[in-house]
Amino acid sequence: MKIVNVCILQSDGTNCDNELFYAFKKFGGSPQFVHVNELRDKSKSLKNFDILALPGGFSYGDDVASGKIWAIELISFLRKEIEDFRKKEGLIIGICNGFQVLVRTGLLPFGNLGKMDATLATNDSGHFECRWVDLKVEKSKCIFLQGDYNIGHFAVNHGEGKFLCNIETLKKVETQKLVVFRYVDENGKPTQKYPKNPNGSLNATAGATDPTGRVLGLMPHPEKFVDVTQYPNWRREKIAKPHGSFIFENMIKFVRKTK
Amino acid sequence: MIQKVRVITTVGPDLKGEGVLHDIRSRLGIKSVEKVSAIKVYRLEGLSEKETEILAEKLLSEPINQRYTINNQQQPITIEIAYKSGVMNPEVASIQKAAEDLGIKLLACDSSVEYAFYGNLTKKEAQELVKKLRLFNQLIEQIVFKEPKTLVLKGKVGKTRIVPIRNLSDQKLLDLSKDKFFLNLEEMKVIQKYFRKIKRDPTDLELETLAQTWSEHCAHKTFKAELLVDGKRKAPLLERIKREALKHNKNIVSAFVDNAGVMDFYGGWAINGKAETHNAPSAIEPYGGAMTGSGGVFRDVVATGQGAKAIISTDIFCLARPDMDKSLLPAGTLPPDYILKRVVSAVRDYGNRVGIPTNNGSFHFDDDFRAKPVVLVGAYGILPKSKAKKGKPKLGDVAVVIGGRTGRDGIHGATFSSGEMSERTMEVHATAVQIGNAIEEKRIFDAILEARDKDLIRAVQDLGAGGFSSAIGETGERIGVTVHLEKAPLKYQGLAPWEIFLSESQERMLVILPPKNLNEFLEICKKYNVEVVEIAKFDGSKSLKVFFKKEKVGDLEMRFLYGGLPQRVMKAKSAKGKVQRGKFEKLPVTESEWIRLLEKILNHGDINSKEPILRMYDHNVQGTNALHPFGGIGMDGPNDGAVVRPLLDKPYGLVVAHGLNPKLTRDDPYWGTIWSATEAISNYVAVGGDYKNASLINNYIWPFPDEEWLGKLDTCVDAVCDFMKALKIPVISGKDSLSATYRGSGGFVLHSPPTLVMSVFGKIPDVKKTVSSDFKKVGSIIVMVGKQEIEVDLKVLPKVLDKLHQAVVSGKVLACHDVSEGGLVTTIFEMCVGGNCGAEIKASGEGLFVETPGCFIVEVENEEIAKKLFSKVPFKILGKTRKDERLVVNGLFTADIKNLKEKWQKPMKEIFP
Repeated sequence: MKIVNVCILQSDGTNCDNELFYAFKKFGGSPQFVHVNELRDKSKSLKNFDILALPGGFSYGDDVASGKIWAIELISFLRKEIEDFRKKEGLIIGICNGFQVLVRTGLLPFGNLGKMDATLATNDSGHFECRWVDLKVEKSKCIFLQGDYNIGHFAVNHGEGKFLCNIETLKKVETQKLVVFRYVDENGKPTQKYPKNPNGSLNATAGATDPTGRVLGLMPHPEKFVDVTQYPNWRREKIAKPHGSFIFENMIKFVRKTK
Repeated sequence: MIQKVRVITTVGPDLKGEGVLHDIRSRLGIKSVEKVSAIKVYRLEGLSEKETEILAEKLLSEPINQRYTINNQQQPITIEIAYKSGVMNPEVASIQKAAEDLGIKLLACDSSVEYAFYGNLTKKEAQELVKKLRLFNQLIEQIVFKEPKTLVLKGKVGKTRIVPIRNLSDQKLLDLSKDKFFLNLEEMKVIQKYFRKIKRDPTDLELETLAQTWSEHCAHKTFKAELLVDGKRKAPLLERIKREALKHNKNIVSAFVDNAGVMDFYGGWAINGKAETHNAPSAIEPYGGAMTGSGGVFRDVVATGQGAKAIISTDIFCLARPDMDKSLLPAGTLPPDYILKRVVSAVRDYGNRVGIPTNNGSFHFDDDFRAKPVVLVGAYGILPKSKAKKGKPKLGDVAVVIGGRTGRDGIHGATFSSGEMSERTMEVHATAVQIGNAIEEKRIFDAILEARDKDLIRAVQDLGAGGFSSAIGETGERIGVTVHLEKAPLKYQGLAPWEIFLSESQERMLVILPPKNLNEFLEICKKYNVEVVEIAKFDGSKSLKVFFKKEKVGDLEMRFLYGGLPQRVMKAKSAKGKVQRGKFEKLPVTESEWIRLLEKILNHGDINSKEPILRMYDHNVQGTNALHPFGGIGMDGPNDGAVVRPLLDKPYGLVVAHGLNPKLTRDDPYWGTIWSATEAISNYVAVGGDYKNASLINNYIWPFPDEEWLGKLDTCVDAVCDFMKALKIPVISGKDSLSATYRGSGGFVLHSPPTLVMSVFGKIPDVKKTVSSDFKKVGSIIVMVGKQEIEVDLKVLPKVLDKLHQAVVSGKVLACHDVSEGGLVTTIFEMCVGGNCGAEIKASGEGLFVETPGCFIVEVENEEIAKKLFSKVPFKILGKTRKDERLVVNGLFTADIKNLKEKWQKPMKEIFP
């Protein structure tokens, strides 16, 4: 079996790194923690990795805006490193704060490193939301999520997750099939209703990819549901397979197939 | 020059502004204000306009939904709220970092919020509104009236003074103590005698160090005092607790010696726990107070042994009712609804950022908490058993301070001359309260864990109460230590050496290292952006020597510092109490009367649903939860405790729960204490905890211990010891806070209800063998297990706990919920909420509501199973679950669950929309 090297990138305030590490490892990846300072001082390099994963947390306290300070750091010091990583067709995933960083670097939704096209604004509720929601997987450009998937339960834990952009941008996002996940109601329909849509995201967008389909960002936390007991109702619902698993499995499978 | 950038959100709701407008209209009933908008303000010093433009565009504003202005004031009436200078704004460091990343060097910066008011009002009226709505707390924040000329804090180095005490009369000694040191005459005379003996007067630093080391807070003089109860000698409280606890030591790794108690876990791991109050700061500034409370207890858990990982956080609050008549508020106290909102925000903003799940807690309301509320925070951690004990410093070892900088925070004396800071426009403010910086704390935790795993650390010590004085002194007690205070990184200049030594600035830790490990440790700190300096060396002198540059500012023999405090002898009057049975004057007769009573109970502050609060706490970070605070079909049924799986690749479980009953403890200190402890262990067993593998943490929040209150405390400790004895499990950590008394003018005295908070934590081998509270099936059997008694039968209790645990492990228990506040009817109601179903039971009228811990409602498939599982303990089959969402109590009433649920959820939904 080919080794799939996963860079779990850390900064000050990263706090969902352990469970993300565990998720990749559980499905056969070889994760490694890398602090952003280790990339800056060149003691480690993205060259050696197949997947770059940006975990959830509060990078630099989410000061000014969530993920902003970390995004500026990445654009200022690691632009070349990231561009090279994209050229060699590495996969990138950003979860929660990681998604906020990807959007604020401009990598999502259009891959414009250094230019923001959308934002993740304060939840409509005005505060942090810790709850479970249902997500539908769209037929999207995302290159490693091309199958048919069931609606799944996912944890959300964020205060700034409202996907927001202007109407033209939103149209472009939709026509290019960049929306990967949407919040859905009891009937499996995309919803704007709180709390099933926990933040008021436009078009119920919970996650998005870029035009290459190799970058995925989402607010909900697939890494927090890769074991049955992580879900609050595991005692009463039959869980054939934990609902976050397929994302990690597919990423690893995809790398193995193409490496 | 200072450049002022203002950032306005243009797309999407301005939630802050709209919230203020809503409050002006609904709470103050003022209609003349048409609109309020909130604007973020940044002040940047040392930049050109062009550089300012770059920062405003790239860092401070969002291109999609915000716009900015530079040095431009357009709004008609604006009120700006900023932190007072000297109060550290956590955002500043991030702005500086990002500016530097963009190649722009800032001299200084600050951020604040501005409210713009539109409508028919004057600036003065707007100011009044801001004050009335408490949009700022004067202790730490202020309205900005004048543009500051500079943001750079300056000051001269303070000097060390000699305090002549050798010739003071008793009265003068007392006067000196009263102002500053809070020691009694006997203690002051011991100090005087010591300095007479060594033939010199103390420095201010030495006196401050002694006062801090010998303070009630650090020395626990009451708990260590010899007691005379009604004239009869009794052993000190702490000694009694320890003596009983250490008899039950099969799981103890360390108890009463470290920052947290440690017990055995599985596979070479240990788990630790600690709970601590932060009442006084939270009473005057609930947001900063609760934040720094959380920060402190997290550090206690991390600074256990050679370093632990914090994995659970708990919060317990006792407050006056949020809707209490405000005219009852004593002078200088804050309204309870304000305190409630602010402490919740603090837990959210601090715990969430540090990334420790807040998955257990509770609220208790009694108007006697209106002056001195209880803010109790707990934390639990995991660490390798081989590193669970602190190494003893060896000759030549060094102590480094890591993390935040030292400021004037937490120092008692607000006696500095402001003249020293005259170069500042806004005066440097000495404050007992700080705003926590969660990310600073997270960084130091990350660094400590990496250093621990690389075997670099001898010991870790938290810098909490007493700061360097306490942490360095205690670690060097055996061997002696030399400290160089000038090395401590400072937030601003102007601190005298004693202030640096005593400062309680947050987010700092002391790490003891063998000198050969220093360089590698420094590298780790660099990686995590953690500031670190070597501040002390263990020197074999058996004394505490403190220098500021070349000047010796303190030299105390360890023997005197830690052994010189005379033991107190304290008198107490034995307590008498009686459990008030809470009899109903008149039981309801008609169905609608019954339902109204039930609605009233479910609406009560101690009982109503706290889900809106829990949804703002990140209780899911780390991905370790195996039992969430709420579960069931709508995820709205509350569970009794937390179960986490700290090692994701192992099934091992850590179970945490707690119990308290301030009202009952006020009526009857003995049975109130037993009730609290029983409630804690019942919550723990109800979710699947094994009581035989549990440890206890006891926290005493008590009025000032005069003879009467000390007598009650003595009874409370007796009850704790009896409880340990009955269950054969130990208390392994705890703390006392004996200042829950408010003294106002005109002889007004208010005692907060005496409160014993018992926390429980322990281990189970497999989280799959646990249970939640939501009913799982229709037509299954509802059983009550245990005795329905307020005065808990300690002989029967262990048997009940054991049987129930075995039943849960067998997998035959479908749901389980402990009976507590609100009685068994509330318990069954909550189980129906989780299951989206109903229940039909037979029960006597009064028996529905009696609040009896040690008693459980259990759902099993059928009667045979119930009989098989519980035949050796008291149990009673109450009835069955049913499909329609109705609660049927035979012969009394049928209530609609959805309607009851609405009443139960309403109060907190209103406070936390």
